[in-house]
Amino acid sequence: MAYTEEELKKELETKEYEYGFYTDIESDTFPVGLNEEIVIAISKKKEEPEWMTQWRLEAFKAWKQMEEPEWANVKYKKPDFQAISYYSAPNSKPKYNSLDEVDPELLDTFKRLGISLDEQKKLAGVAVDIVMDSVSVATTFKKTLAEKGIIFCSISEAIKEHPELVKKYIGTVVPQKDNFYAALNSAVFSDGSFCYIPKGVRCPMELSTYFRINQAGTGQFERTLVIADEGSYVSYLEGCTAPSRDENQLHAAVVELIALDDAEIKYSTVQNWFPGDKEGKGGVFNFVTKRGICHKNSKISWTQVETGSAVTWKYPSCILKGDNSIGEFYSIAVTNNYQQADTGTKMIHLGKNTRSTIISKGISAGKSQNSYRGLVQVNSRAENARNFSQCDSLLMGNECGAHTFPYIEVKNKTAQIEHEATTSKIGEDQIFYCNQRGIDTEKAIALIVNGFSKEVLNKLPMEFAVEAQKLLEISLEGSVG
Amino acid sequence: MLKISNLHAGIEDNEILKGIDLEVKAGEVHAIMGPNGSGKSTLASVIAGKEEYEITAGSVVLEGEDLEDASPEERAHKGIFLSFQYPVEIPGVSVTNFMKTAINEGRKAKGLEDMPAKDMLKMIREKAELLEIDRKFLSRSLNEGFSGGEKKRNEIFQMAMLEPKLAILDETDSGLDIDALRIVANGVNKLKSKDNAVIVITHYQRLLDYIVPDFVHVLHQGKIVKSGTKELAHELEEKGYDWIKQETAV
Amino acid sequence: MDLKDKLISSFMAFENKVDVEHPVHDIRSEAFKNFEEKGFPTKKEEAWKYTSLKNLQKIDFSIFPKEVDALENKQVKKYFLQEIDTYKIVFVDGIYSSFLSETTHDGVDICLMSAALTKPMYKPIIEVYFNKVASKDESLTSLNTAFSREGAFIYIPKNKMPKKPVEIVHFSTGNEASLMLQPRNLIVAEENAELQVIERHQSLTSNEVLTNVVTEIFAAENAIIDYYKIQNDLKTASMIDNTYINQKSNSVVKVHTFSFGGKLTRNNLNFYQNGEHIDSTMKGVTILGDKQHVDHHTLVHHIEPNCESHQDYKGIYGENSTGVFNGKIIVDKIAQKTNAFQQNNNILISDKATINTKPQLEIFADDVKCSHGCTIGQLDEDALFYLQSRGIPKKEARALLMYAFANNVLESVRISELKTSINRLIAEKLGVRLGFDL
Repeated sequence: MAYTEEELKKELETKEYEYGFYTDIESDTFPVGLNEEIVIAISKKKEEPEWMTQWRLEAFKAWKQMEEPEWANVKYKKPDFQAISYYSAPNSKPKYNSLDEVDPELLDTFKRLGISLDEQKKLAGVAVDIVMDSVSVATTFKKTLAEKGIIFCSISEAIKEHPELVKKYIGTVVPQKDNFYAALNSAVFSDGSFCYIPKGVRCPMELSTYFRINQAGTGQFERTLVIADEGSYVSYLEGCTAPSRDENQLHAAVVELIALDDAEIKYSTVQNWFPGDKEGKGGVFNFVTKRGICHKNSKISWTQVETGSAVTWKYPSCILKGDNSIGEFYSIAVTNNYQQADTGTKMIHLGKNTRSTIISKGISAGKSQNSYRGLVQVNSRAENARNFSQCDSLLMGNECGAHTFPYIEVKNKTAQIEHEATTSKIGEDQIFYCNQRGIDTEKAIALIVNGFSKEVLNKLPMEFAVEAQKLLEISLEGSVG
Repeated sequence: MLKISNLHAGIEDNEILKGIDLEVKAGEVHAIMGPNGSGKSTLASVIAGKEEYEITAGSVVLEGEDLEDASPEERAHKGIFLSFQYPVEIPGVSVTNFMKTAINEGRKAKGLEDMPAKDMLKMIREKAELLEIDRKFLSRSLNEGFSGGEKKRNEIFQMAMLEPKLAILDETDSGLDIDALRIVANGVNKLKSKDNAVIVITHYQRLLDYIVPDFVHVLHQGKIVKSGTKELAHELEEKGYDWIKQETAV
Repeated sequence: MDLKDKLISSFMAFENKVDVEHPVHDIRSEAFKNFEEKGFPTKKEEAWKYTSLKNLQKIDFSIFPKEVDALENKQVKKYFLQEIDTYKIVFVDGIYSSFLSETTHDGVDICLMSAALTKPMYKPIIEVYFNKVASKDESLTSLNTAFSREGAFIYIPKNKMPKKPVEIVHFSTGNEASLMLQPRNLIVAEENAELQVIERHQSLTSNEVLTNVVTEIFAAENAIIDYYKIQNDLKTASMIDNTYINQKSNSVVKVHTFSFGGKLTRNNLNFYQNGEHIDSTMKGVTILGDKQHVDHHTLVHHIEPNCESHQDYKGIYGENSTGVFNGKIIVDKIAQKTNAFQQNNNILISDKATINTKPQLEIFADDVKCSHGCTIGQLDEDALFYLQSRGIPKKEARALLMYAFANNVLESVRISELKTSINRLIAEKLGVRLGFDL
């Protein structure tokens, strides 16, 4: 088979977005625009207590004073915040006790996504909390979890059922005024997931949430709060897809993780929001604030596989406050066509003997731009802090770009900081070399992409790793695989 | 085994090979020598099926089968192996994984099952020993950060693993210090048998002290201008390529 | 009189000793002018920010040593490789010692710079290579050029390889209260030639010595050169090493620098890649104690496409020592598909030791692979404890860990006897008796 750079490019371009369909479910949607009334209305609609409404309003006030940040290495037309509808919930209001009650069309959507609940149940024993356009519609395995005292529910439910926990922790890691999008989220978040693992409990299954953006012109503002109490462990999976749409959709989520003494949180994300078509039209704007705080001897580990969104702006971070705490960040970011990603992490070392590891793999194809932006900060009291960072970029073709912006700020001389960075390019030479050894082109690309990403793929839970690997192939290999 | 007849080939209207005739039989070692730009590497690339070269006339026939329409991987499956002058780096893909894939793809083409992992491991161990390759080396990314000597040793290691019928060594000696040269040559010699053949492409005579050719051909301006036995290589070393250039000009 | 003035006034005396009609002398005069203008570099210059030559300039160095008595073989035997035979070019206080040397003209030339600069038969080589790659701008290189007269001269013609490695050794005897030496080496490997060189500077008494050495190395197409620098001099010896390497297509040059001794050492190691598919490697192990100071300044200039460079420097700094690593990589716009690797790992084993490290990448091409890694750390206490718990005394355990840390660099040393002798030096430097046969 003939193979040139030109054809490699073509092949990369031809894969259309597999999940680009639209589920026709009647929704309950608010009028477009944002003002205090809308914020209050959202809060009311969700039957929230007064303190929550006030909390939202504080955030809204702060947001009005803030300006949209411009320092990221991405270019896009700024969303018109008055043209977005801030609330959209599927009409089928009541909660289901079993899957049979769920709208069959909705279930069909899940099947097409490859995440049928039945299959998931059988396969992995994953408890899934599905957020379909902002409102949680089905939760499974709740019982098993309840027996261990684990709370896993939508954040709206948590606000009602467990106000003391929400009140104590919400906004403690990502304050309302943290940044433009976090403030916006705090004001208008529609739903999200809440998870609490009691002292000493090891969560027996992977907790999972799938997000989808469905209704046209709705912004998705989920709020996730995970609290791992002393000595507990939880592994949390988050998967995202969005149907194809012409206008850009905004996604501004906030995720807060709290790992108390000796606790461990593993947070894995596979994100394939609609990236736009090959002309660069449409696609999701993904402006996310994810941050965790580590208390004594605790550990937070972020793993992400990002193949979607037109514009991504995301820095899952760890505040290593407690002595001996550990922060990890493993990331694969794939951009193709006109996608832009500016992603990375911040590791803030405050406690003694804190350690952090950063492994970032960027794959750029087409005309896309992929940037790594990371900060490693060692404060003056953080004796014996250690960091290892590795940022690798893989370029496919001649029109894409990879950029690395590592920032290192060290105020303590006992720190050990290591940084490695590489950039490599896949072109005709590599493909011919593989061909000569009897490996055809499709196989060669799969081999290279998987080889490049394996250090991060290995960090994902098994069932997620398979899906992530598939996603990489979909995003990059065209008809391959 | 290999029969090249009146081969004309080039790149974008620029004819580099201008009528090559060469026959290589099983069990033979042929050396192709020549000054820079004479077309040595082009010949290797054309036999291996590199796309950018176009055959304008003549043919390359392997065991009675014309290769013109065969893709590079099909040629590899038929038993052609090219040891690259400048082996390509493939980040993230370990030597072991690469070899596993190459061998199993080759077996698939022949309608065979994947090689059992146990056999693969044993084979890798044996062949690595032959080339004095350290085990650590096998888990490193293919050619990435390898020294010149390591790259060439790795090429011959791959040759040992794939057991080709026809191996073409394109300037395998360039960049090799004398110790590495000995290891590589020793590896090639051990892989030689009455059933396979080797074409050694080189600019210098030194490698031919270790891999002794049955025939030496001199390539100049896209043609084989002189053929002989290994003495010809010594003569070339002494007199230089200008001698050939003058002789052919006459 | 400060050192600069002394050198300037000595130049006239120098001119009485050499043939001023020879074309080389024009080069010397030109270089002298440059030095006269610029003088010694100061800390104000970015390239000399971490290394001060101020104290050295206060010492009253002799510029021209007296003729000395021959050294006995047994006095200096231990500074040569023991187990294998080598060619030797040996100098005592800057003057060639035929008694200690073993040169050759059998197919290759391994002899003296003074001969090459004066004998007509070498004139064509000198014309093509002398002072061609060395900087004409850098003042200390110019100073050496101005006084260039003696050193090693190695010429390997096409397709040739000397039968054994070459050792270049400079001894200083201490007959002078303090001595300044300026050796000048020229090493040429023509097409497809291969060569191994070991260079060493050694003072035999604790009188002050300052060596300002310039080495020019040329590797033609397909040539292979391994160059080893052993810097294990006494704590009264200072050195400024200026090495310039010009490589042509497909050539491979490796320079290993082992810095264990000396008071102040500055290594300026410069690679210029004038061709494609060139491989340049520079590796170093630095182990310092006391108030020692070593400054590695490397430069790799990628001028053409498809070339590689590999840098791997390991440093272990104890007591009040100071280490500097400044690795500069320039990739020209046309030098696409360049692979440049740089690694600099350091261990501080004392609170008072200092390391300044600075990678400097200037990349003008867009399809290149450059990686740089830099670490500064302490010995792994857990590993240390583990070894101790297995009965290895602390001192030995520390040495073992440090050796393991530096081991990568030694792996590529091709002369096994040299490897053994460096292992011995490392053990000595770390104050242990260990074989390190890892």
